[in-house]
Amino acid sequence: MYVTLLCLALLAGGCGKRETLVAIGDRTQELRLGNEGEPASLDPAVATGVIEHNVMVSLYESLVFADSKDLSPRPGAAESWEISPDGTVYTFHLRKNGRWSNGDPVTAQDFVESYHRVLMPSMGSQYSYMLYPLKNAEAFNLGKITNFDVVGVKALDDYTLELTLHSQTPYLLSMMFQDSWDPVPISVIKKHGAIDDRTNPWTRPENFVGNGPFVLKEWRINSHILVEKSPTYWNAKEVRLNKIYFDPTEDSDTAERMFRSGQLHSDVQPPPSKVAFYRKYKPSLIKVYPYLGTYIYKFNVTRPPLTDKRVRKALAMAIDRNAITETILRAGQVPAYFLTPPDTAGYTCQIKVKEDVAAARQLLAEAGYPDGKNFPTVEVLFNTLQTHKAIAEALQQMWKKNLNIDIVLHNEEWKVYLDSMRRTNYSLGRFAWIGDYVDPSTFLDLFTTESGNNETGWSNAEYDQLVRLASNTGDQAVRYDAYQKAEAILMDEMPIMPIYFYTESRLIVPSVRGWHPNVIDDYDFKSIYLMPEEN
Amino acid sequence: MVIVESVETAGGASFWQDAKHRLWKNKLAVFGLVVLCVLAVLSLAAYLRPSMTGYSYEQQNLALGPMPPSHAHWLGTDPLGRDLLARLLYGGGISLMVGLCATAVSLIIGVIYGAIAGFAGGKLDMLMMRFVDILYALPFVIFVILLMVFFGQNIILLFVAIGAVEWLTMARIVRGQVMAIKRQEFVEAARALGLRHGRIIFRHIVPNLLGPIIVYATLTVPEVILLESFLSFLGLGVQPPHSSWGVLIKEGAEVMEEYPWLLIYPGAVMALTLFSLNFLGDGLRDALDVRGSKD
Amino acid sequence: MLRFIARRFLESIPVLFVIATATFFMMRLAPGGPFDAEKQVAPEIRARMEAHYGLDKPLFQQYLLQMKHLLQGDLGPSFKYPGRTVNEIIADAFPVSLELGCESLAVALVFGLAAGMMAALRQNSAWDHVPMALAMIGLCVPTFVMGPLLISAFALHLDWFNAAGWYFPRDRVLPALTLGALYAAYIARMSRGGFLEVLNQDYIRTARAKGASGARILFKHALRGGILPVVSFLGPAVAGLLTGSFVVETIFGIPGLGRFFVTAAFNRDYFMVMGSVLFYACFVVVLNLAADVVLVWLNPKLRFE
Repeated sequence: MYVTLLCLALLAGGCGKRETLVAIGDRTQELRLGNEGEPASLDPAVATGVIEHNVMVSLYESLVFADSKDLSPRPGAAESWEISPDGTVYTFHLRKNGRWSNGDPVTAQDFVESYHRVLMPSMGSQYSYMLYPLKNAEAFNLGKITNFDVVGVKALDDYTLELTLHSQTPYLLSMMFQDSWDPVPISVIKKHGAIDDRTNPWTRPENFVGNGPFVLKEWRINSHILVEKSPTYWNAKEVRLNKIYFDPTEDSDTAERMFRSGQLHSDVQPPPSKVAFYRKYKPSLIKVYPYLGTYIYKFNVTRPPLTDKRVRKALAMAIDRNAITETILRAGQVPAYFLTPPDTAGYTCQIKVKEDVAAARQLLAEAGYPDGKNFPTVEVLFNTLQTHKAIAEALQQMWKKNLNIDIVLHNEEWKVYLDSMRRTNYSLGRFAWIGDYVDPSTFLDLFTTESGNNETGWSNAEYDQLVRLASNTGDQAVRYDAYQKAEAILMDEMPIMPIYFYTESRLIVPSVRGWHPNVIDDYDFKSIYLMPEEN
Repeated sequence: MVIVESVETAGGASFWQDAKHRLWKNKLAVFGLVVLCVLAVLSLAAYLRPSMTGYSYEQQNLALGPMPPSHAHWLGTDPLGRDLLARLLYGGGISLMVGLCATAVSLIIGVIYGAIAGFAGGKLDMLMMRFVDILYALPFVIFVILLMVFFGQNIILLFVAIGAVEWLTMARIVRGQVMAIKRQEFVEAARALGLRHGRIIFRHIVPNLLGPIIVYATLTVPEVILLESFLSFLGLGVQPPHSSWGVLIKEGAEVMEEYPWLLIYPGAVMALTLFSLNFLGDGLRDALDVRGSKD
Repeated sequence: MLRFIARRFLESIPVLFVIATATFFMMRLAPGGPFDAEKQVAPEIRARMEAHYGLDKPLFQQYLLQMKHLLQGDLGPSFKYPGRTVNEIIADAFPVSLELGCESLAVALVFGLAAGMMAALRQNSAWDHVPMALAMIGLCVPTFVMGPLLISAFALHLDWFNAAGWYFPRDRVLPALTLGALYAAYIARMSRGGFLEVLNQDYIRTARAKGASGARILFKHALRGGILPVVSFLGPAVAGLLTGSFVVETIFGIPGLGRFFVTAAFNRDYFMVMGSVLFYACFVVVLNLAADVVLVWLNPKLRFE
């Protein structure tokens, strides 16, 4: 037995000090990223999440792209554009040297057909609503009209694209950072199958064609994705990276260990206990910055005692958000006293939930439960994850101590939890929303009566009206004023209880240059390059 | 030594008395038994009087956070500032109960099922074993979720879920052993004497199986304790803020580099329990071994 | 013997059929579907997606369709990974799990049997207690603790290995040790028991009395009887080993099948679950058959069943 162990040790340790994969990557300009999961798809009309987006941002280029510092829209496939005085017509002038990776020119017609594809009902694209600002897009997507010609996207000529909106949408350009607005090579897709077949294999490495700064070289499920610099990209000379290696490790402990052992240049969302460790002992390796998301508890307003808004407000006022962000989360998260993250495109809600235990007790008494007497046992539902559990346990104790009521905790497996939430089969339900684009509407639209993500049973006509008003006008002042009023209603009726605003914590080695943190954590791979520090 | 033995046996002690005597002489086994009893008593006490350590299992101290062992908290605290010792004792109840009872249940079912299949042979054996194969292959996660859908979130379901999975391998092992034993002479003799099948199985064959059964049973207990933590992940079993050793170990493993005490102590307690079980089990096996004098 | 094997294969067909049917209905009954996501999809869109995969048809019709596809060997598309079929995913991931499984099994058998034999030969001595204690540790330390411990020591501190991944030959070492340790513990304990049973039998004592050495006896006579309980246990255990361990694959970032098995159920990826269940079931059936064959070979008296 000892002999075997000795042999193993020799075999393993034999080669001496190895050059880490990160060091090799620095030398060869290959960026190795921990991408938190395996992309479900790399087709912009099918893919849905951040994981997919991070890869697609390297493979496709939409009309505009996000400047990684301030998220302002920069010319991408379009070199310039004009907006009509009433804000409903956008005319984009495409670059004449824009090319697909198979050499074909990128034309306005490509964009028209790509948007047609996303909006095709048979495509079943989950983010098709990102294109709804276009005139008649929603009606077409829901099958109410069948003639795509009336939808507000037209190719005036090969390099001029005209978008007609149904109403002013001042944040349209920032919506374009989302992949539904990417062009796809229609002729290539048709070669491999039906245009609206989500299982069409055109995104496989051997078939893939894209117009982005990189092309798909290798894709092994659960192993890695490798993209290589595209020689046909119009701005290839500015791109310094040669390759990007996306690692799909989902387990945050494993990913953090990989970062520590020099296998990854960067990794997001390490486990909370490690975040605290890095911030304290290795601050040069970690960056923490605000992220466009809010963590809340939804109240099922149709279930007593939560039907009474005094009870809901009492619950929201009787907790200590700072204690949660400081001791449980510990990654610089910000306590949330309203729904929309502060300074979202310049908007910050003025009405806040006040943390006031005495006032909360008073409200509870008024609602008929003085000192928590006769308060029925209420259940908190969350999906099983350590952080959700810790937060729920802390809140449970706070409510017990401050209001003298008994809350019961219940965790469910992910899909069961989603199903329960969808059916409004819960009392208090944990929920989080990451903004789709940088504008308060992505948060405030959630709690209108028709929103599928509402799930609380709460419906308020005045709120609906204000949100609708804001979406129909382009005047920033008018919009934001409407949103202030709407969010004030939300904080008064309290169908939801905001808890904290997200931050992103990212482990990143100093050799990664040109990367900037931003609130949607978007990568701009064209400006990123690797240069080890001189010792 | 030999002389003493034969005198005592000559005194006409029965098989069970003999076994009990041998067990008592095995110091390790007795040690194991004592440890288990102490743990059981402590857990029961913690369950009945949750504040006996001065802290309850759910009492949080967010400002304190995770702290290594100190005078105030003998085993340290977890990230919510809860006393680890209190949580460990309180959780022990669930883990011991689940570990021992669920294992016992699956053991009984598995032994009976496997013995019948192995003894009967032929078509009955085939049907019974194919049924085991089917149950073995079905997706466990979905099975548990369905259990919860149809029967709610009972603690009894926890035993059902665990028992449903663990008896399968026990049955296979028992069946294999029975098949090997049943052709031996003493069984043939029993048959020749015209004893009823049931009698043969349970009075003659099963005692010879006790070795592998006990060994496998003691191997099953740690598996069951960890399985319980997986089940609580699915929403069955203990719900927060209650915990069990399995859950404590799982949570401790997640932070083992930063707060090692959160893993070490629950792990040590579980190891202690398992070692005790094993010593006890080995002692039982040796004591009940019909052929076994070791000199 | 051949007839025995052939008969078992025939018996397996209804077994697989029952498994497939049970799995189908179990999956459809469970709450939550493949298209449930945190950002809710509009009902019309959801309806389209379900229609695309035939989920809008009556349940029994879907069942018959599924059975038909299964008979043709078509395991269907994956919901979670549109564009990949279940057949492809399994074909891609299985060789990885197979390799890891074999390596772990080798580790487990070598260490486990050696420990069990030594312990039985020198019962109640240090050679017995120490390996058995180590085996117990192998059991008490769950894989999700053993793995990170090994990584922390050998990969992060000593820098002998990568922390995760499956690219170089040396990436196999830590995972195989982690997974093998658990099974080695089982094998050590069970084989010790089995060997002891045999060693205490009369014919062995006779051989010993005649002067044959312990080791020789073990190999010539006891081995057959001793590994009996191990064989029964190993049948289904190896099936699990070869089709992948979720925990080890997650900790070491190994692109094997074990992860798919578990995540498919959590994703309600219906066809993936069906495919992986049946794939696993085939292994169970084959390995149980192999175990039974070995049992019969070890104990010739059973031959006339």
